[in-house]
Amino acid sequence: MSDTDIIDQLKQGSEAAFKTLVDTHQKLVVNTCYGLVQNREDAEDIAQDVFVEVYRNIDKFRADAKLSTWLYRIAVNRSLNHIRDNKKRKWFHSFEDEVANKRREAMQVSTSNTDEPEYELENQQRAIILKEAINSLPQNQKVAFTLSKYEELSYQEIAEVMDLSVSSVESLLFRAKKGLQKKLYKCFKKKCL
Amino acid sequence: MKCKNVHNKLIFFLEKELPVSEMEQVQKHLDECSKCARFAAEMRNTLQILDNDKVNDENPFFYTRVKERLSKQAEEQPAVRPVLVRILQPVAFSMLLLLGVYGGFMLGQAPNANIAGSGFTEQEVIPYWNELEAEPIEAFLME
Repeated sequence: MSDTDIIDQLKQGSEAAFKTLVDTHQKLVVNTCYGLVQNREDAEDIAQDVFVEVYRNIDKFRADAKLSTWLYRIAVNRSLNHIRDNKKRKWFHSFEDEVANKRREAMQVSTSNTDEPEYELENQQRAIILKEAINSLPQNQKVAFTLSKYEELSYQEIAEVMDLSVSSVESLLFRAKKGLQKKLYKCFKKKCL
Repeated sequence: MKCKNVHNKLIFFLEKELPVSEMEQVQKHLDECSKCARFAAEMRNTLQILDNDKVNDENPFFYTRVKERLSKQAEEQPAVRPVLVRILQPVAFSMLLLLGVYGGFMLGQAPNANIAGSGFTEQEVIPYWNELEAEPIEAFLME
């Protein structure tokens, strides 16, 4: 079933079309949210909200737009809202909670070499540093970088999702990579990598 | 190529985004400089984490949870009230408020017809106030 058929049937209230939409685009939405919030449970939670929003606002969807672009946009907006709300909540969290959360997030990183505990530990450490470096990027750079790395979108697709020109996306990704490189090098110099 | 130049271009080298000539220059430097080579290896390992850090499996209960959320939200939404109730209720409350204010003004302007009782009340209350002044608060609390 094509995206246009799904949308048409969904506008008529078809539950089967909604199930098809959720099943076919679940990975796309969850992965995008995960790239931004860096927590699997939160990502699934936000992704569920994304599909609820799609179901409720299907009449507002323009026929000429791409369904995936719309989904990416909602997923990005919802994830950014979640991050903003989380920042406010973090004021009330203790430092221990913060460390435990980071450790749990790092444990979620699946590595192929599970037989080598030392390698696994090193990778967990790297994952924490990398995620911190990504999280410290300015919001637009972070979104562009996440869409490029987690969803492997082209510059053109990222430009459509973010409503920017291709050259702006190029510039965002260039600055994001430069920023990451700088942070990782600082860490390498301090021997935390 | 100097170490500083290599550090500035390393991420683009690892992502194969540099022109061929620069790729060769960076590679040459990495073959010669052990410190930069170590940093490049570390950076490669760190960036590789992103390749494994994706959600590849699907949650089989995902659709059920979305449906559950939809029905829960539908339940929580208040039933649509008839237009008349939505308009009449605020109008009635506003009128009551205006009536209250008007009544207050009217009572305030009314002639002092009978205030005989109020003088008596005043006399009864004053001794208590005087007593309160005479008695220190510490003594009162001790008791």
